[in-house]
Amino acid sequence: MARHPLRDTIAVVGVGSTPYGRDLQRSHLSLGLEAAVNAIRDAGIDKQEVDGICGSGMTPLAQGGAGFLSLQGSLGIERCTWGVNSWLGSAFVHAGAAVAAGLCDTALVVQTYMREPNMSRSAAADPFRRVLEQFSDVASDMGGGDFAKRWVHSGEPYAAWMKRYMHDYGTNKDAFAYMAVNNRSHGSRNPAAVMQQPITLEDYHASRMIWEPMQIYDMDVPVDCAEAHVITTAERARDLPNKPVYIHAMSLGGTRVGEFYENTLGWTENSHWVAAKGLWDRSELRLDDVDLFYPYDGYTIDAVGCVEAVGWCKPGEAGEFLKSNWDPVDNILRLNGRTQVTTHGGGLALGRAGGANFYSEAVRQLRGGEGSRQVADAKSALINIGSFFHDPSAVMLRAD
Amino acid sequence: MRNYGPIDDVTVFELYPGIQLNRDNIEHYRALAEQQLVINRCQDCGYWIYPHRPMCPECWSLNVKPEQVSGFGTVFMFTLLYQLRDPKSHIMEPLAVAAVELVEQKGLRYLSRIVNCAPEDIAHDMPVRLTWIEIGNLEWPAFEPVPEGQR
Ligand SMILES: [Zn+2]
Repeated sequence: MARHPLRDTIAVVGVGSTPYGRDLQRSHLSLGLEAAVNAIRDAGIDKQEVDGICGSGMTPLAQGGAGFLSLQGSLGIERCTWGVNSWLGSAFVHAGAAVAAGLCDTALVVQTYMREPNMSRSAAADPFRRVLEQFSDVASDMGGGDFAKRWVHSGEPYAAWMKRYMHDYGTNKDAFAYMAVNNRSHGSRNPAAVMQQPITLEDYHASRMIWEPMQIYDMDVPVDCAEAHVITTAERARDLPNKPVYIHAMSLGGTRVGEFYENTLGWTENSHWVAAKGLWDRSELRLDDVDLFYPYDGYTIDAVGCVEAVGWCKPGEAGEFLKSNWDPVDNILRLNGRTQVTTHGGGLALGRAGGANFYSEAVRQLRGGEGSRQVADAKSALINIGSFFHDPSAVMLRAD
Repeated sequence: MRNYGPIDDVTVFELYPGIQLNRDNIEHYRALAEQQLVINRCQDCGYWIYPHRPMCPECWSLNVKPEQVSGFGTVFMFTLLYQLRDPKSHIMEPLAVAAVELVEQKGLRYLSRIVNCAPEDIAHDMPVRLTWIEIGNLEWPAFEPVPEGQR
């Protein structure tokens, strides 16, 4: 076991979301503020109790962005002793770490996403979205005509990994197909989801080819949305109105691949495997204890990679494993006969939020009270968010 | 392709206005302008360093210099693009993009297009060699299959 002083000492006490839509005609900041206000109100605290903020994007000075400086000013929070911007799996982990370390007592995490101009023709025609891309900090160094830099922050290597995975393990697309159908089935039961229609395996295989072998139903749905979370000490959480959801253990994961994704290591060496090992070195709960599983689905291969990285099955066996853990009545996965997966529909159905909505759903399920969508007696959730190459998280949440 | 003669820094910046040139990668682009593919290499232990970084991760030497590679490699992984990032672009046949593992070192990969090969004939671990294609009045590296007899 690794050194692990934070175990169950911090808790998620507030969750806030915006509506999800393809064109909400709002800024990152506007979306982020709505989610933040919802999360702080949900936590039942005064806004001045927030003394740490993790915002969205890469630079805190982005105009109209939901970085920590803009958020603090817009929310009217007087003093923060901690602030950072982050994304994907990392944002939540950074905020939890800051509370655990005592850099702040109550951290607000805000993650905003918008449909980008390179994602559709109608988005490309929208001048507000074009300006966002023009001044974006992440997309600024994607090659500028140099094809060799094309895989800096690109989805294409995930498509190449699908092909290499099938080649190396002599398998087919079953793993990806079952994951896609599972998420769309759950999405059809989530009124907030942008994709309300469930799909069949046949629909999956017939869907449009984008980057062979990756098809449109392998890809998350670009939307405008925001998610926010409030994390504080376990001690404070017990005085607040919501049932505390404790952060039992968490880990990030880094490898030496760096920013050019063609330098990818082997399938079982990517960053999700590093994060998973970091978690299992710290968590007292094991895979058998996991009631709910939330593997990131930016692409279906992300989720399949997470299934194998945390150890539900051996490398290369996800196709057979998911097929044999399929519930044909509800058209969803029940791992080892019980553990449900991505109960809100994830990025494939609810919409693309860089994984932030997985944390939100896990917390809501562990509190109970999700009505017809509530998974009975859910006490623990395993969440894996992030890229094969950077910012992966492995987080174990639990409730009493 | 124009003959630029000795290519000074200012010329490299003029030739590649869209590239984020810096002290660590400019030699790579200067060489591209001369139709050479160079990769940084540790002069102390011989390790090839990519992307363009100033220090050897194996021995921490800063004595790193670009050297020309043989241009031979194999297709480590690839995808066929049916749709490009620019949604306004239309492509008639799928564009092959591949991480080519160069023979110089295990795991040393250069991202490039595969040309002179039908998309359905591209295969993992297929031997390929460097060639050049003109895009936007500049010559860029691409890779093509090594003919059967020459493998
Ligand atoms: Zn060296």
